[in-house]
Amino acid sequence: MDLPLDAPLPIDPELGASTTAPTALAPQSVGRPNAKYARIVPITVVTISAFFFLLPLLTLARHSLQNVPAFLLGKDTIFTKWSLEPMWRAFDDPKFMPSLKLSLMLAVGTVFLTLALLVPTAVWTHLRLPKMRTFIEFITVLPYMIPAIALVAGIVIVKPHARWFLNSDFALIPFYVVLALPFTYRSIDAGLRAIDLRTLVDASRSLGAGWGTTLRKVLIPNLRTAIISASFLTAAVVIGEYTIASTLLKKTLPAFQREYTQREPQAGYALNLLALLVTTLLFVLLSVLTKKRDQSRKPYVPPAAEPTLPHTPTGTLT
Amino acid sequence: MTTLDFISVRKTFGTTVALEGLDLDVQQGELITLLGPSGCGKTTALRIAAGFEFADSGAVLVAGSDITRTPAHKRNMGMVFQSYSLFPNLTVAQNVEFGLRTRKLPSEQRHRRVHEMMELVQLTSMANRYAHQLSGGQQQRVALARALAIQPQVLLLDEPLSALDAKVRTTLRDEIRRIQTEVGITTLFVTHDQEEALAISDRICVMSQGRVEQLGSPTEVYRRPSTAFVARFVGSMNEFAGHVGDGAEVSVLGRRIAVPSAAAHTTGTPVSLLVRPEDLALEADGFPGSVASITFQGATTLVGVRLDVSDTIVSVGVGRGKADDLSLGDRVHVDVHGVNAVTEPV
Amino acid sequence: MTDVIITEVEGGRTAGAPPSSARRNWAWVGLVPFFAFLFLFLIIPALSVFFNALRTEDGFSLAPLGEAFSGQNFQAFRFSIMFSAGAAIVGVIWGTLLAYAAASLIRPKWLRNLITSFCGVAANMGGLPLAFAFITLLGARAGVLTNILNWLGLDIYEHGFDLGNTAGLIVVYSYFNVPLMVLITLPAIDGLKQSWREACANLGGTTWTYWRRVGLPVLTPSLLGGFLLLFANSFAAYATAAILTDNSKIVSLRIAFFLGGDVSIGEDAVGFGLVAWMIIVMAVCMSLYWVARRRAERWQSL
Repeated sequence: MDLPLDAPLPIDPELGASTTAPTALAPQSVGRPNAKYARIVPITVVTISAFFFLLPLLTLARHSLQNVPAFLLGKDTIFTKWSLEPMWRAFDDPKFMPSLKLSLMLAVGTVFLTLALLVPTAVWTHLRLPKMRTFIEFITVLPYMIPAIALVAGIVIVKPHARWFLNSDFALIPFYVVLALPFTYRSIDAGLRAIDLRTLVDASRSLGAGWGTTLRKVLIPNLRTAIISASFLTAAVVIGEYTIASTLLKKTLPAFQREYTQREPQAGYALNLLALLVTTLLFVLLSVLTKKRDQSRKPYVPPAAEPTLPHTPTGTLT
Repeated sequence: MTTLDFISVRKTFGTTVALEGLDLDVQQGELITLLGPSGCGKTTALRIAAGFEFADSGAVLVAGSDITRTPAHKRNMGMVFQSYSLFPNLTVAQNVEFGLRTRKLPSEQRHRRVHEMMELVQLTSMANRYAHQLSGGQQQRVALARALAIQPQVLLLDEPLSALDAKVRTTLRDEIRRIQTEVGITTLFVTHDQEEALAISDRICVMSQGRVEQLGSPTEVYRRPSTAFVARFVGSMNEFAGHVGDGAEVSVLGRRIAVPSAAAHTTGTPVSLLVRPEDLALEADGFPGSVASITFQGATTLVGVRLDVSDTIVSVGVGRGKADDLSLGDRVHVDVHGVNAVTEPV
Repeated sequence: MTDVIITEVEGGRTAGAPPSSARRNWAWVGLVPFFAFLFLFLIIPALSVFFNALRTEDGFSLAPLGEAFSGQNFQAFRFSIMFSAGAAIVGVIWGTLLAYAAASLIRPKWLRNLITSFCGVAANMGGLPLAFAFITLLGARAGVLTNILNWLGLDIYEHGFDLGNTAGLIVVYSYFNVPLMVLITLPAIDGLKQSWREACANLGGTTWTYWRRVGLPVLTPSLLGGFLLLFANSFAAYATAAILTDNSKIVSLRIAFFLGGDVSIGEDAVGFGLVAWMIIVMAVCMSLYWVARRRAERWQSL
């Protein structure tokens, strides 16, 4: 969403809008006068995929908002009994608001802690310890090796020794930071690579600015895209994280979603639909915000200079 | 007799006309360079010859047979691309062998041919390396070996030197020429670098906007450019504003200069007179001016002279040693030798 | 009197310690907060797992780890690994096809961007909303598609399909696996240079020749990396599976049951042994992935 086009990382919608030369796979096979039929296979694949990816969303919406059981669906019932009532019912549930509030606060807290921890670290590494970059990258892989369910097992062990800390709901925040680490670090790191950090810092310092001012007035504005991207991704992850929250019996939104859906099926589904829509909206907002920033396309940087691991928070939501 | 013929080949991309009826005959064993700026159609012409593009109308013949509609992989041509064309997952030897394997030659024959080719380009020691372990120049030599291994009828080179360092460029271009004459293969070479074209071609086809401006030997193209475009594109030119006088004469800034090419125009026509730096000289008699710049180029020196009459700077090519006593601001006189000058009506 | 020429020789070091190494030593300090944070909130829980897995009443022992990988537990690992591999293969094949389609369909111009944007969102989708969405599509009673197929005469549940069994889960997992694969593979496909394709044709090779001898070999490290990533992703997934099934043969669910006090797992140490083995599997997988990516990039950057 924020990354230079070259990064071989998943979550980058810009990945498609490539400035590199036309791909090697133009529809007409190389060297044949008339090969229009070559488009059939790709188009079929895309069409079938489109169905696969859109149908569940549509049926979720239908199930939540239409009060007709699936087996009764027919020509005459397809347009009946649609209403947003299940969604309002969900909002009215006394446990909804507290869980939403908690999740939002956790999201904000995680974003802040992530940025406060990672931006200085990334800047420092780039400036003072360039040789450590690969090592740090490897370190950011570690959370992948310890998936959420394993992490929470470890937390359970440590719990008796840190009850004072783990009892608080906000104890989730540092663990969420860890969970989001691989892609937030990568995001910021990529943002740093795209700007000429050394020159900016030297210029700023030579003009008399101290480290604080440099960070505030020079680095952060230039890293805005990376920071926005990292923040939105983190927020999406936190709002959807179920594994750790449920095992530690914290009452976050996903935990509520689960419990509520068992109690009130249709309203619960409506809530899930909403959660899905909000997360999608976050991503759409993110790409809009970051597209505006990148008015000037950055020059092509060979992928070898870029991090090697994916951007997604595997194991957090899945 | 392997000749390559373009007959009225025309190609458009959407609304842009890339080639406007190209007619070109490449003789057996000849190296013709398609020279021109980007967008002139030279690459399109080459790709049509290779079979990666297909002409909208017209024909392409190789040794007399019409290959206009033949798919690329059925043509028997060797091609060297601008860069990065070696298959990265294969060794150098396997790359060179590639075309032989598609032709299903027996392995002994393949190995022999690969060895021959590697010797031809002088890279036998690199046979088991991979592309990324080679320098740019070495990669292109392997590409050449790979193209020649299949003993093609025609060799096509698409700006093979553009991506290389200057020094490597000159050595490699001479290499390519040497190999091409040794093997005697009909060759079409595309470049935008006129120095390259002049150095290695049997004939140069200067192109602009899909049309052929001039087709001739390097000497012809350089010394007797037939259009102003060619005059400006190949080598460098000084321009003087003037008008045609009686007979083969051009009146420039108050002086009359004998210019054979002016005879083609009526008296009084306002023209641009294009003169090469080496056709200007610092003599006792000529346009007065002062030295504005001295650019030492090794074998020659270019002296920029600001003419009194027009306050423009002309470039005078001065041979070895003759510019040693000059300094900025010196007063000199520039004499114009119009024998090779080009007259362009304004 | 001999003239003694005294040459000032600097003793081995310049005055003062060489600034660079002093600065380098000091620069490490800047990373302390980061490392400390990781240590506290990642390393310690992970180490505790291993610590508890190796501890019996008699002290340090490898027995619980052994037990955590035998009998029913072994069956669970076997099942999960096979299942994850299956999900990964489906994701790799489909994802590669979709990536190829996105790369090759240059008209309409907006299609590729649309596909990658959607994949960016879908790769992150998972857990509750996804599981519930599929229940509304393919669930036994509530599923719209199930009902449509029933009406057409095909009862998929009678034929053994179930959202909670292997086939069903693979379908659901594909929802985030395929986009993930697309996003990883697109750059690799972009990296296939036009000139290779043309050179191959020029040397007499057909499309099939190209893919067989150049295209697929060059893509292989990327495809392999994709497989490993999808495998890890599927193996580690918890929330989605938790909604759809209670199959204790899925390792992440098994661990959840243990953490929730399921006695059948056995002693505490064995339960944590399960977690330890899961970490080991993931570590191996991700390390191999790292290697595959490095290799893939070497060719991509040519």
